[in-house]
Amino acid sequence: MIALVESSPTNAGPNRNGGDLAGLLAAVASGDRPALARLYQRTSAKLYGICLRVLRDQADAEEALQDIFVTIWNKARLYDRAKSAPLTWLSVLARNKAVDRVRIKRIATGGLDEAAEFPDDSPSALDVLEAADDRARLTDCLEQLEERYRSLIRDAFVDGASYPELAAREDVPLGTMKSWIRRSLLRLRGCLEQ
Amino acid sequence: MSERPSLTPDERRQLAAELALGLLHGDERSQAIALSREDGEFAGEVARWRGRLAPSLAEVEEIQPAGHVWEAIERGIGGAPADAKIIQLNRRLSRWRGFAAATSAVAASLALVLVMRPPQALQPAPIAQPAPMVATLASDSSNDRLVATWDPARRSLIVAAAAGMQPAVGKDHELWVIPAGGKPLAIGVMHPKRPMRMTLPMTMAAHFKTGATLAVSVEPTGGSATGLPTGPVIAAGALQQT
Repeated sequence: MIALVESSPTNAGPNRNGGDLAGLLAAVASGDRPALARLYQRTSAKLYGICLRVLRDQADAEEALQDIFVTIWNKARLYDRAKSAPLTWLSVLARNKAVDRVRIKRIATGGLDEAAEFPDDSPSALDVLEAADDRARLTDCLEQLEERYRSLIRDAFVDGASYPELAAREDVPLGTMKSWIRRSLLRLRGCLEQ
Repeated sequence: MSERPSLTPDERRQLAAELALGLLHGDERSQAIALSREDGEFAGEVARWRGRLAPSLAEVEEIQPAGHVWEAIERGIGGAPADAKIIQLNRRLSRWRGFAAATSAVAASLALVLVMRPPQALQPAPIAQPAPMVATLASDSSNDRLVATWDPARRSLIVAAAAGMQPAVGKDHELWVIPAGGKPLAIGVMHPKRPMRMTLPMTMAAHFKTGATLAVSVEPTGGSATGLPTGPVIAAGALQQT
């Protein structure tokens, strides 16, 4: 597995893995199909793992992965190596696509307002800004939260769970869940921005 | 309208974190997305949160997908890279030009939009409404999406398009407001790359109330010469109270 922050742009010196992936993304942006195949070989296990984690269903995760690579094919030119490492960008893209799919499933089952749940397909939705010490900071700052809140924040991001879902999962009123998370985010932000 | 009076700087930062985490749903989420489209600083904050939280994805276990997934992707990309696809789409649109005379079809499609998105309230609302309104303009047949935000206090309208909505060569996208039960009124021609920002005259602003629909049609360069849409409607959505 490739460490995400090793290839972070703010790290001095070229990183071979990150550099290769960035080069592949540039080739994909220019319509190079074999480059997409190589990118798939290198990253599909990572991105499929993320899809399965969010969607918890093989067929859904496979469809999400297809969608992700078609998006990569179409949007690779939006990747900016000055902003984030390639695997970070790809992982966040995969996570967001998988979460979009969860939302669409929710519309089908829960009768939620469709217009309010549409995927955000603006270019800025694919924007990821990373700093060299993000990983160390996140680990440190999550450590400072109580275990319960730490796992809530993790679940929200990694599983794509929204406020109502988290409230149902923990069996607390929605308002309680919102105030827990908001308080935790405030503390997390205070620590991360130090 | 980049600064909503109701949000303090702290609340904005909190909202950026909530959007990046995926905690928001429904109206809260669409409003936050609209804000990220019209406010680069807010969008940057959301991007920063994605970067901050991304390391937690590094812990997710790698799993090899089945072989048929790649085959489906190869079929999905069909040999055409992104930019070539836009050109193809433009070609298809230019072929449609031949059918532009069929204005009755356009009227029918506008009527369909109105039927599909029924007005929520038929009573006329007061002209000066303090709360901003939003509309999500979407199409059933394409991925084109726009978000419109309307600030009645300043009569300020912002319409931001998703990527890939450039009109074909020799065409423009024109924005219309369709009052509940009324005829489309031209608001203006959209810039092919930039969000549309304008202050509307009082007479036009009066039509921006619940029940009105915003629609984008494909028109000859410079906009429809007839005062009514002449080309296909590519996106439409109802104006709603925030």
